[in-house]
Amino acid sequence: MGKKLLEIKGLKVHYITDDGTVPAVDGIDMEIEEGESLGLVGETGAGKTTTALGVMNLVPDPPGEIVDGEIIFNGENLREKSREAYRKIRGNKISMIFQDPMTSLNPVYTVFDQLEEVIKLHQKVSSSEALQRAKEMLAKVGIPEERGEEYPHQFSGGMKQRVLIAIALACNPALLIADEPTTALDVTIQAQVLEVMKDLKKQFNMAMILITHDLGVVSEICEKVAIMYAGKIVEFADLESLFTKPSHPYTVGLFNSIPDPEEDVTELTPIKGLIPEPTELPPGCVFHPRCPDVMEVCKGSFPETVELSPTHRVACYKYHEGIGGEPK
Amino acid sequence: MASKASGQSVAVAAPEAKKKKKRSQRAEVWRRFKKSKTALIGFGLLALVLITAIFADQIAPHPYDGMNLMVRRQPPSAEYLMGTDQMGRCVFSRVVYGTRISLVVGFFAVLISAIVGGTIGAISGFYGDRIDNLIMRIIDVILSIPPILLAIAIVSAFGGSLVNVMIAIAIGYTPRFARVVRGSVMTIKEDEFVDAARVLGASDVRIISKHIMPNALAPVIVQGTLFVAMAILQAAGLSFIGLGAQPPTPEWGAMLSTGQNYIRDAWWMSVFPGLAIAVTVLSLNLLGDGLRDALDPRLKT
Amino acid sequence: MMQEKLLEVENLQKIFSTPRGDLHAVDNINFFVREGETLGLVGESGCGKSTTGRMIVRLSPPTSGRILFQGQDVHSLKKKQLKEIRRNIQMVFQDPFSSLNPRMSVSDLIKESFDIHRVFRKEKEREEKVLEIMEVVGLSPRLVNSYPHELDGGRRQRVGIARAIALNPKCIVLDEPVSALDVSVQAQILNLLDRLQEEFQLTYLFIAHDLSVVKHVSDRIAVMYVGKIVELTDYKTIFKEPLHPYSRALISAIPTPNLRKKKERIILEGDVPSPINPGPGCRFFPRCRERIDSICKEKEPEMREVKPGHFVACHREE
Repeated sequence: MGKKLLEIKGLKVHYITDDGTVPAVDGIDMEIEEGESLGLVGETGAGKTTTALGVMNLVPDPPGEIVDGEIIFNGENLREKSREAYRKIRGNKISMIFQDPMTSLNPVYTVFDQLEEVIKLHQKVSSSEALQRAKEMLAKVGIPEERGEEYPHQFSGGMKQRVLIAIALACNPALLIADEPTTALDVTIQAQVLEVMKDLKKQFNMAMILITHDLGVVSEICEKVAIMYAGKIVEFADLESLFTKPSHPYTVGLFNSIPDPEEDVTELTPIKGLIPEPTELPPGCVFHPRCPDVMEVCKGSFPETVELSPTHRVACYKYHEGIGGEPK
Repeated sequence: MASKASGQSVAVAAPEAKKKKKRSQRAEVWRRFKKSKTALIGFGLLALVLITAIFADQIAPHPYDGMNLMVRRQPPSAEYLMGTDQMGRCVFSRVVYGTRISLVVGFFAVLISAIVGGTIGAISGFYGDRIDNLIMRIIDVILSIPPILLAIAIVSAFGGSLVNVMIAIAIGYTPRFARVVRGSVMTIKEDEFVDAARVLGASDVRIISKHIMPNALAPVIVQGTLFVAMAILQAAGLSFIGLGAQPPTPEWGAMLSTGQNYIRDAWWMSVFPGLAIAVTVLSLNLLGDGLRDALDPRLKT
Repeated sequence: MMQEKLLEVENLQKIFSTPRGDLHAVDNINFFVREGETLGLVGESGCGKSTTGRMIVRLSPPTSGRILFQGQDVHSLKKKQLKEIRRNIQMVFQDPFSSLNPRMSVSDLIKESFDIHRVFRKEKEREEKVLEIMEVVGLSPRLVNSYPHELDGGRRQRVGIARAIALNPKCIVLDEPVSALDVSVQAQILNLLDRLQEEFQLTYLFIAHDLSVVKHVSDRIAVMYVGKIVELTDYKTIFKEPLHPYSRALISAIPTPNLRKKKERIILEGDVPSPINPGPGCRFFPRCRERIDSICKEKEPEMREVKPGHFVACHREE
């Protein structure tokens, strides 16, 4: 067991809109150790991106607001930090890359310019040192040095995402938050980028939160997985346990919804119903209207988290003693 | 767009969700419109102007052409709220009736140009290629002439009258509308629902009228409101130089023009028609800006 | 059992001229779809799969080649026959957000096909028919007056499907119908498409970039790369014995949610090349690990049937 790098306790992020309060992230707990990668999996509106923005203190305010919880990074509660102090952490200790590589780069600056800017912003180095570092970073993500003089529009999608990774890693962050980094890319390009990320993670001994909807991508690169549904983490486990013993009915439903190219299934068993509206979340367990194993108790209150093993916890009444029987 | 799932979309998802409770698009536009104070002020002012125009007969205490040489150039008083002019006519009544004229001229000039220009623009934008090229070059030529010069040329050729002013202004705005409509048609025709209609076998006429135009209307309405303001100004300008309304028509520009001869000892003769022009144009501009924000789905919050 | 060929594509080619040269979006492809089967067309972005679909439904004319529907060339038809063909070949689009006119209600959207083809003229009959179709695609009747913006992605896609099946077509071109949807909704739509195919004996051309989805729905699969079909065979063989190096790389690149069967991954080098002014050789040559320098660069491999029903275009297989 390594040292805890990031610990989130009871984080709540709400959006206040004309139509009421949206609990986009509703009291989540999770922790990441140094050098570890966590897959944050969920569908649209589950609150994955909001969680990431919460950690970065970038929740758009208004309408968003962090209403409660602690974000402990390297032993310090980030929520007590000043704006200025936070700015120094962002991009330096914690970096983020976004889904759309097409719009995340400034079209009027060369790739070198953009890399150097981040380096100079956070490190006291001369221009020539910054350039040297920029060249190293490009080499690390597999882009030939001479292409650094080019502008973003001269790069393909996959190459742009590599540039963004290089920018994100330029200051040796302890934690990288990657929001759907490969979703906009083609499969063969996705494979390349994932390979680069895996490699760099090892080299930099960096922790990572990978936000994705694709369990396949998670299985490639993560050690831990958190499954989110409607603002809650419903299951949190190490990769092995989650993939071999998925326990929350939602997790099981997700696995059953994906066609597995290795297997020959004639019909998928999707989760019935639809993702609830964020302003009209059902009472009790948020998943109960869609749950195949719903019980009376599920309609009352959201279940406490149960530990199935030291590395596997799930928020479901099925595993509460005396209600759903013994944990499997 | 791929970025749909990122960032603010959680925030955006919230109002979108609520809309499920049967909120029509019109109500949604109104809700957004209400948010802006300036838009509401513009709306209120314009409502006032419209009421004045409709109920001019009831509001005006005197007929607009009723001369009373006994009371020439009287300052504002209880009897004559805005004083009288050099012929002893009630300035207030003339300003009230002038509302009708200005609104009618502005509105119809813009309506004509919207219909003609809109059709030309729709054809040009939808068919593209050579037709578009031809139409756009003609439009470029018309646009290269300053609108007021164009109007002066037309009116002086056909004689000064309100109808000719209206036509002259309409000709000036037709190419502007054509451009606006062409632009939005070109964007909308690339939308997938147009392809979807085509796959069902829809004809060009159907696609333009049922699918493209209803979606292209928003910018036309916004531009239309702003153009009405400009058209009113232009009509007043033409009348000011004697090319538009002929006496005794109570046109604001014409009143302003007469008033300037007496500005030293009868300021009310020019100040009140001037104010009327300013208020009307301001209300239309505020309304137009408010509508643009409310109708633009990108600004949804 | 060999069914009849419903749709045949012969030497189909689409070239767009761009300022930088001719863009060979679709370059001489051949395939057919049998009645009642699903042919999957997979490839990465820009490989020409959507352009192919658009030519089949006549949204775009081919530069050369023919598309035969029941033996008739869809691009050289008289007006009357054309309407008949339109009824029979429908399309479902990728983006359920932009493929529905935002100013039309669900009922108007479904009725549009009736209006265009002048069927079900009586209002009452039309209303009934709309509700019937909504039920078939799993839309609750209370949504009949809703507008697209009031619906979520899955429901919008159901409306899109309802429009496509409203006139009882024979063939539907599905252009990435589930790639904009969340996984749990995606599975619902895939099951719906499956059920509809059985119920109405539909023939599908399923265009997608996601091989696992395509495998799930298709009987046969064609793999496209930069305007060319490189391999075409049944859905089992393409996974078990892919012959073209690109097919192999594509299959190995799919991230599978299956820890037990982690396979050897082939990471292709470089990017998908531009389809503008392609060279004389194989399109895959620059990224291919098994290239034969002497031939692959110079000569384009021809598509040949290496085993019954298994077509591949690669010099290695000659």
